[in-house]
Amino acid sequence: MKKILITLALLAITAVTAQAGPEEDRMAFIKYYKAKFPSVPMEEYANGVYAIDPIGRENWEAIEEFPPYEPFIDAGQAMWEKPFANGKGYKDCFPDGPAMADKYPSWDKQQGMVMTLPLALNNCLKANGEKPLKYKKGPINNILAYIAFQSRGKVINVEVPKDDPRAMAAYEDGKKFYFTRRGQLNFSCATCHLQNTGLRVRTEILSPTLGHVTGWPVYRSKWGTVGTLHRRFSGCNNNIRAKALEAQGEEYRNLEYFLTSLSNGLELNGPSARK
Amino acid sequence: MKIKTVLAMLVLAFGLLAGSAAVLAGGMKADAAMAADAIAKAEAARKQAASVNGEWRDTGKFIKQAQEAAKAGEHDKAVKLAKKAEQEGRLGYEQQVSQSELKIPSYLKY
Amino acid sequence: MKKTVRLVSTLVIIASAAWLTGCTGKPTTKEAPKAMAAQVDPAVVAEGKAIAVNRKKGNCLACHMIEDEPTPGNVGPPLLAMQARYPDKAKLRAQIWDATAANPESAMVPFGRLQVLSDAEIDKIVEYIWTL
Ligand code: HEC
Ligand code: HEC
Repeated sequence: MKKILITLALLAITAVTAQAGPEEDRMAFIKYYKAKFPSVPMEEYANGVYAIDPIGRENWEAIEEFPPYEPFIDAGQAMWEKPFANGKGYKDCFPDGPAMADKYPSWDKQQGMVMTLPLALNNCLKANGEKPLKYKKGPINNILAYIAFQSRGKVINVEVPKDDPRAMAAYEDGKKFYFTRRGQLNFSCATCHLQNTGLRVRTEILSPTLGHVTGWPVYRSKWGTVGTLHRRFSGCNNNIRAKALEAQGEEYRNLEYFLTSLSNGLELNGPSARK
Repeated sequence: MKIKTVLAMLVLAFGLLAGSAAVLAGGMKADAAMAADAIAKAEAARKQAASVNGEWRDTGKFIKQAQEAAKAGEHDKAVKLAKKAEQEGRLGYEQQVSQSELKIPSYLKY
Repeated sequence: MKKTVRLVSTLVIIASAAWLTGCTGKPTTKEAPKAMAAQVDPAVVAEGKAIAVNRKKGNCLACHMIEDEPTPGNVGPPLLAMQARYPDKAKLRAQIWDATAANPESAMVPFGRLQVLSDAEIDKIVEYIWTL
């Protein structure tokens, strides 16, 4: 009897590794980065490349003293408070207030899709007869900056519900995207942000995937403004000579779902500044 | 003596080859129909790659350039660009199909 | 001085390779002895270098250190002592043409297979890399 139980237990364990779920994936990533950067504490991963780049970090800390994203937060607050043409506002769509970035991305069972914050914001606009915002550049970043600022300190906790197989399928889809090589230069996200994290492409140090989603929207000096996470996805796709996919399309939303789940347990710290 | 014969034959063979290639190339000047055909093939290959999210960044740009060249009557240039785009479409499609199964890389240990 | 040392070592390698093939009388590949016997045209090497360092072409510096070239990355190993480490030029060419053939998890761009560079461009890069 005891033997049978042990065998069953062993079988259960092997089944888990063969079909790793979100939590196994997260632990594997943590183990990988811990081995590579033993002195970097977990919470530091929310700071992107600056967790592992002491020289860039000094510069970054100086920038954060006078945050370049501040005006965007203020503009976002004005958007949040200004009523729509019909007299309603964002407040009516999101009655719990702007400190809600940790609620996204989440599985929308009714629609059978991953719901992201930008999508939810546009749904609110459309439901009130307003024009939806563009997903990469422009004013969406203001409202996102305000919400991110209000959500600072909240802890990421993405759930992939077990009662809807489509949720796991979406997660798996995002994971597959992450590990798939694309573009003429034949890279996957993993090639740069996992396999070669900490190494340099030219002068650019490659950041870890853990923490990639905590600080959005990001003010990038190269952009000269704040941009969304999906704008960054496009950029990384473009650099490897792959055609960027549609911002907030299914592929990028599923990718965001996977990446955010990997960052479970980290604190949100957006908006942030990057080179 | 022997070497000289071989050399002479080689020279002759190459000369013939080069000559016929030149004739062929001369006779193969692309016309509007060939350009249109090459562009249609390129567009089909691009679409096939896109159907598996495997389209490359510049494929569409090359097709556009090919169309412009064809419009300007530069059919050779149009065919060349379209061929390049078609190759890219084919390679981008194969790249995705060859990875249809998710494989976790060996450096990530569970 | 460095150049002289390199030249001498090159000559030594070429000489010993020639001597070896001469001795055994059976060259391992068709390409190798021909390539080694032929004097590499410096113009070809210069062209190869231009393609290798061009960011829109080889962009090898994105990942490799090459002596005296600015802002190299370090995703791949430094490119040095290539002749000694790659006596067989075909092997060197294969690494550049498609590194994923030997190592499916290689981060190196498959320059030939995915037509980032033409075969003629790769030939020139090989000549250049072989001088490092
Ligand atoms: C050729 C290498 C390369 C590939 C492939 C690549 N990236 Fe990047 N990525 C970079 C570089 C370089 C940066 C800027 C420095 C840094 O933060 O790593 C960056 C930055 C990012 C950032 C911003 C991080 C921050 O803290 O602001 C995100 C998010 C990101 N990449 C996601 C992805 C995703 C998702 C993929 C796959 C679709 C991907 N990258 C593919 C090189 C790459
Ligand atoms: C994206 C990064 C990247 C780029 C760009 C790149 N390589 Fe590499 N290269 C690598 C890696 C990683 C290796 C290690 C072996 C492997 O994984 O294939 C490597 C290995 C090599 C080797 C074998 C080195 C040795 O010590 O045995 C040669 C030669 C080489 N690369 C040449 C080139 C040339 C020439 C170019 C430009 C045309 C180039 N590489 C561009 C990443 C790169």
